[in-house]
Amino acid sequence: MGNTMAVADMEAVVFPRVEEDVLLKAEGLNLDVSIGGKTCRVLRDISFTLPRGKTLGLVGESGAGKSMLGRIISRQIPAGFSVSSGSLMFDGEDLLQASARQHRDWLGKRIAFIPQEPMTALNPVLTIGQQFTEHMLRFGVPAAECEARIIQALEEVLLPEPAALLSKYAFQLSGGMCQRVMIAMAFASEPDLVISDEATTALDVSTQAQVVRLLRDLQARKGTSVIFVTHDMGLATHACDEVTVLYAGEMMETAPARNIFQHASHPYTRALRDATPRLKGSVIPLKTLEGQMPGVESFADIPGCRFASRCDYAAASCNAGVPERVSVSHGHSVRCARYAELETLTAEQHSSSGTHQPGHAFSARSVLQASGISKVYPAANRRQKDKLALAAMDFTIAPGEFIGIVGESGSGKSTLGRMLMGLEDLTSGSIDINGKTLGNDEASWQRRISLVQMIFQDARSALNPRRKVGQLLTQVMDSRPHQRLERNMRMKELARDVGLAEQSVQRYPAQLSGGQRQRVNIGRSLCDLPQILIADEIVSGLDVSVQAQIMNLLLELRREHKVALVLISHDLSVVRYLCSRVLVMKNGEVIESGETEKVLSDPQHPYTRQLIAAVPPTDPDAVWPGASFTDKEAGVL
Amino acid sequence: MMSFIPAWVFSLLRDNNIRIGGGFFLLLLIAALFAPELAPHDPNEQDLFNVLLPPMWEAGGSADFPLGTDALGQCVLSRLIYGAQVVVIIALTAPVGAAIIGSILAMIGGYFGGRSDWLINRVVETWLSFPAVVLALILMIALSPGLHNVIISIVLVDWARFCKVLRADVLVIRRRDYVAAARITGARPAGIIIRDVFPGIIPTMISLMALEISIAIVAESILSFVGMSVGPDVSSWGGMISDGLSSMYSSPYPLLLPMIAMILTVLATTFLGQGVRQVVDLHLAERTREA
Repeated sequence: MGNTMAVADMEAVVFPRVEEDVLLKAEGLNLDVSIGGKTCRVLRDISFTLPRGKTLGLVGESGAGKSMLGRIISRQIPAGFSVSSGSLMFDGEDLLQASARQHRDWLGKRIAFIPQEPMTALNPVLTIGQQFTEHMLRFGVPAAECEARIIQALEEVLLPEPAALLSKYAFQLSGGMCQRVMIAMAFASEPDLVISDEATTALDVSTQAQVVRLLRDLQARKGTSVIFVTHDMGLATHACDEVTVLYAGEMMETAPARNIFQHASHPYTRALRDATPRLKGSVIPLKTLEGQMPGVESFADIPGCRFASRCDYAAASCNAGVPERVSVSHGHSVRCARYAELETLTAEQHSSSGTHQPGHAFSARSVLQASGISKVYPAANRRQKDKLALAAMDFTIAPGEFIGIVGESGSGKSTLGRMLMGLEDLTSGSIDINGKTLGNDEASWQRRISLVQMIFQDARSALNPRRKVGQLLTQVMDSRPHQRLERNMRMKELARDVGLAEQSVQRYPAQLSGGQRQRVNIGRSLCDLPQILIADEIVSGLDVSVQAQIMNLLLELRREHKVALVLISHDLSVVRYLCSRVLVMKNGEVIESGETEKVLSDPQHPYTRQLIAAVPPTDPDAVWPGASFTDKEAGVL
Repeated sequence: MMSFIPAWVFSLLRDNNIRIGGGFFLLLLIAALFAPELAPHDPNEQDLFNVLLPPMWEAGGSADFPLGTDALGQCVLSRLIYGAQVVVIIALTAPVGAAIIGSILAMIGGYFGGRSDWLINRVVETWLSFPAVVLALILMIALSPGLHNVIISIVLVDWARFCKVLRADVLVIRRRDYVAAARITGARPAGIIIRDVFPGIIPTMISLMALEISIAIVAESILSFVGMSVGPDVSSWGGMISDGLSSMYSSPYPLLLPMIAMILTVLATTFLGQGVRQVVDLHLAERTREA
């Protein structure tokens, strides 16, 4: 605990030194792991204070170590990791020193968790009632009172008909409902601390807004403190009181949630902000953050600031030693040696940024024309009804045109994409490519796959894990005679095109980062230079900085190869950045379509309005209407 | 580099079940390979002066016949050692044969679906509805005794289980995005099956094969017990048990010793199968977590 002194000084910075009741206080927490004989500091000097009834947001990209804190608290750190120094005071007692018995007693009773995947966190073979009762009995509610208490808890999270819910199984509920059950369980023991680890990431935007609102409501009523882990900065500004930005296991910046976006002081926070597409205001080109976060195994070799290798403002001094945390203003601290100089530097940079154009059509002539296409899944047996996945619709796309298709899960947007690609049969209608109707024969299929290609949502499952990147990039050549030399050249070309290092063609997908995998995924679809790309949620699982890279890559491919893009997404700001035209879908029907800017600024359909409102605005002063309940909505969900 | 050997091969060697089972099986393999050198006598050599001798440590036993002799004066130890040859051959070939037939049909049925899948499924169900031993006996009657035919009949009986289990795997892999991705690159079905589907079913296939070893060994011994396996001139443990039955009241050893050998072998292969399955499952779990 050599650096306790420095940390003690910092404390005033993290939260205003008002006489507040502090619930959780970390001081100089270090988490080490030894890899190959070297000791790597996974978390370096984590210090914060969390007052009762407040929310601390942990924001960062994957690999930043934001989930580790929750694991330290729950004593679930992976084998080989150990907390080497520091203290973690929970209501005056050290969590790290507490006996196993005491700790077990706290968990679930005084400290509760809300998991990321509500569907998998609930046991599929037990009813909600059984699981909830088990939980209640564990913290000492008499069996006779359980049912009444459970129903009350479920009512508090605004679940309709809580009594009927008790006999249901997890799979009979929607994701949003399951997450509400998890929240109800977390709050049932009236805990002092709730840790929510990406609890809303798996949910639709509008469900997310309601769940966050619910969390805030319960917290305000019960005076609970919350640690809110998320990768979404926009969400953090609205869901938290205070936000800490983590990068490579280090707290880079801590500020009141309202200030973190607008008055970001750390270059990394700024880079995150500049890489996040906006839903409102003028569209400016996104600045991408090159490179990737250093892995844990290389931490030992970085003597100075861990962000220095990717930082635009890095100077020699940055690599000399770990920068101290400096107070910027009341409650705002930053770990950057040069933050004071940044103000002048960024002002220059911002003036030079140009204007941005989304993907407009190069000509009025259409490449692909679908007329009256629909999809109905026939019922499995006579008692069930046929399921309409897509009502009859027309669709055209011109060269270079980027069209966004938005809607929630189950709205039929993925079905549309798969039908255009030819992976799903059409129930009715026809598709023309360059004026010729596609049939079901082999020649049509060959023509189709040479002109239309699809980029799959999850690059992990779309890339055969047992083939090398080079083989995957040129997978098209598998089925036709080619020379090895020719193929090797093409794979290197493609790797360059999508911004991968040439050496990476020799690697396996599992050896690449998420962003690199997505690049392979995109590169593969470009091998035959198609005219249309169908992209199904390709940026949704990625970190913001990688997302910005991929989006700029797509726009670049459009300029170079004149490709058109059908972008299926639930993220309206991504669609706004890329697409000139947008289709809004609900329950298999297109309910609104038109120019992106027009639809977003003046939505006609109430559902479109609701979708737009559900996105957490980046402006901290803006109210987030999507997060407020109307009685009607609460009843529906 | 060793990178072409998957990591699970190494973890196989760290599993205790595999060490025990594999170690015993290795001994058996050595006995089978060097049978002519190890066996004190020819397995069919009869010494009618020394009939039903007890093992050498019992009164009346002779160091010439370490485990005694049977009713025809044949050396029990030599017959056990030569019998190990049959066991090892069956253990190594029958699972491979069943896996080949089963996996090919599983991939055809599971990948293409439709009528071929329907047909393969019905055949598998019909096959599985027969008691395995009865089916093998019928096949052996049709094929006539002999080592090759035993292998063929065991393979023909057991492929159905492989097919049924592997087909479920194929159905899962078929829905993966990378199979759809291969389709839109214009790959032919055969190419997709070889490059994308087959590598995915290998782990399940390996654990099925490990379990099949003990099943095949027992099946062969049942067939030789009823005299429908390898010919009478080849010594096999099942045949020794059946011969030992007639003289079991005068000397139990010709019956007990092959039975013990049998039990130990099946136990060892079960350990082996269990170990392999654990390691493979562990790797599957790890892979899905990273995926």
